[in-house]
Amino acid sequence: MVGKPARPGNAIDQTRRMLSLVTYLRERPGARVEDVARAFGITEDELISDLDVLPLCGTSFRGGDLLDIDTDGDRIWWHNPDDVAEPLRLAADEATALLVAARAVSTLPGLREGDRQALLRATAKVEAAAGEAAGASSRLSVTFESEGGVFADVDRAISERRRLWIRYYSPARDEVTEREIDPIRLVSVGHTYVEAWCRRSEARRTFRLDRVAEIKILDEPSAPPEIELRDLSEALVQPAAEDPEVVVEVGPGGRWVAEYYPHDSADELPDGGLRITLRTPDPASLRRLALRLGRDGRIVSPQDLADRARQAAREALAAYDGPQAVYDGPRGVE
Amino acid sequence: MAIAKAERLMNLALCLLGTRRPLSKRELRQSIEAYVEAFGPDRSAAGSDDSFNRMFERDKDDLRELGLVIETVENLDGDVGYLARRDSNRLPPITLDAEEAAALGLAAKVWQQARLAGAASGALQKLRAAGLPEDVDPYEVHGALEPRIPVHEAAFEPLMLACRDRRPVVFEYRKATAAHPESRTVEPWALECWRGHWYLAGWDRGRGAERVFRLSRITGRVRSRSGTFTAEVPDVVTVRETVASWAGETADRSALIRLRTGAGYPLRAKATSVRELGDGWDELEIPYGHGLDAWLVEFGPDVVVLDPAELRADVVDRLRAVAKG
Repeated sequence: MVGKPARPGNAIDQTRRMLSLVTYLRERPGARVEDVARAFGITEDELISDLDVLPLCGTSFRGGDLLDIDTDGDRIWWHNPDDVAEPLRLAADEATALLVAARAVSTLPGLREGDRQALLRATAKVEAAAGEAAGASSRLSVTFESEGGVFADVDRAISERRRLWIRYYSPARDEVTEREIDPIRLVSVGHTYVEAWCRRSEARRTFRLDRVAEIKILDEPSAPPEIELRDLSEALVQPAAEDPEVVVEVGPGGRWVAEYYPHDSADELPDGGLRITLRTPDPASLRRLALRLGRDGRIVSPQDLADRARQAAREALAAYDGPQAVYDGPRGVE
Repeated sequence: MAIAKAERLMNLALCLLGTRRPLSKRELRQSIEAYVEAFGPDRSAAGSDDSFNRMFERDKDDLRELGLVIETVENLDGDVGYLARRDSNRLPPITLDAEEAAALGLAAKVWQQARLAGAASGALQKLRAAGLPEDVDPYEVHGALEPRIPVHEAAFEPLMLACRDRRPVVFEYRKATAAHPESRTVEPWALECWRGHWYLAGWDRGRGAERVFRLSRITGRVRSRSGTFTAEVPDVVTVRETVASWAGETADRSALIRLRTGAGYPLRAKATSVRELGDGWDELEIPYGHGLDAWLVEFGPDVVVLDPAELRADVVDRLRAVAKG
């Protein structure tokens, strides 16, 4: 199942779920295991383990009044339904988790208007039902960044199963290239991305919407091959084990590198800096990083990359030699 | 084998919800199998009282965590009893249509943080028990859109709880350019996630001023301080504006640069004017905010700063540092 947060079983979550389950089952004698598991967003195994616990639970302090709930693995029966099972009010964390997420999604630029309206209506109803418990939800907020126009086009292309043509900016190479892509899904994790099958590279690629310079929906149908979607709890771009290694040493002012670049290791240096080891399929793309770091850090290896950065800086400086001189030599170093 | 905690909590919850009169600790201890098994039917073993009391207090806290309102009532003899009244625990009527149910289904799966993911599912299950429509499978609706709220910072959960409960905290914080972390005592107001990173806004007691902290720069544990807030919490806490200005998004001036034709698309996208010079270069006017010098240097020999002189000097300075190696 795609994107469901993996979470170890936890007694509080299970208790909360069983309390709701009891209410739910009271209204639905003979409910199917399969349907109940789906309604509760859990696996059938998880549901069965809840059903193993419930008959050990009693509704009265005098004991004896145990819940007579059983299942044959297909249907679930409660033989002595009790009115103890009423829908329970929302806890502060529950209201917060649901409301903060709903508000965040509702502000996503490019979201279909119908979806946005449904979210806003649902948010208002949950706020009203949660009462005081909704109060703490104002202490958390999340903003998703997206390019509304691009988002809407991608969304339409996905629902109409059509191919897209884009001009896309690649920061690693500082260039804009044209490609045709078959979009698969939109993913918002801070920024919004489209995961797609790229027809130019015949491979799965992830494109950040704010780097799409131009977009057109083509008449051609989209036909991405069947691929297994990645688990979104991992970073969207994962370096491969065989990618070349780059070592960067930064001073205190360059510690942000460890926050922005996925890395294998970051070791503290005596001056308050870090020695960071990372992997990238294209080390040349890190020339930007070396230039940006300035006196706050340097590329230790590979030597070739360090040389390129130094060379680029020297060429850039040449343009400042005269009062308003412009460097006119050959472009960069390839 | 000890009785599982979920079974114990479930029994305690059902007892407290099922009773019409407050139940004493002794009654609860004698009637819940898990307590009987762990501590015996009565006050037989000395010392077991303390451990029972500790477990009972923790269990009550856990049930309150999942939303149960448990009242503590003292009777005429001074004995304390507990109950969870039906009317204060009942979800008020709520009717959601299929579209709204689907929207909440989408919202309930965006948290990538165990505690809030669990809480969001729990909320949805409570609503489901209260009749939330199921015609639409929430996991299939708008299948092409997957919003995710990332939480990688260890400081998130303790700070979220401290914001919720309005408790002061103390933590070690390393400023962006500082060599060593410094201890900060903060009254935490609000947390905000922007571009995938979490920030905290609050009252910094040491600085005597409002401050914004980036959670990834908190080192070590977040510890709670006793006592209450001393500064007034503002009605509206704005984190994003502060962070956006750090990120150079609030430019108050403009700069003039030359950019090689075909290079620097993001600079072009931000430019207020672009003029072709015809010799392989364009002249751009771009917003000049904090951090522009570092960004321009990334483009190496494809960018030349013309104006203002201050920005030109900053860029030259950075380039020299790299050229020296």
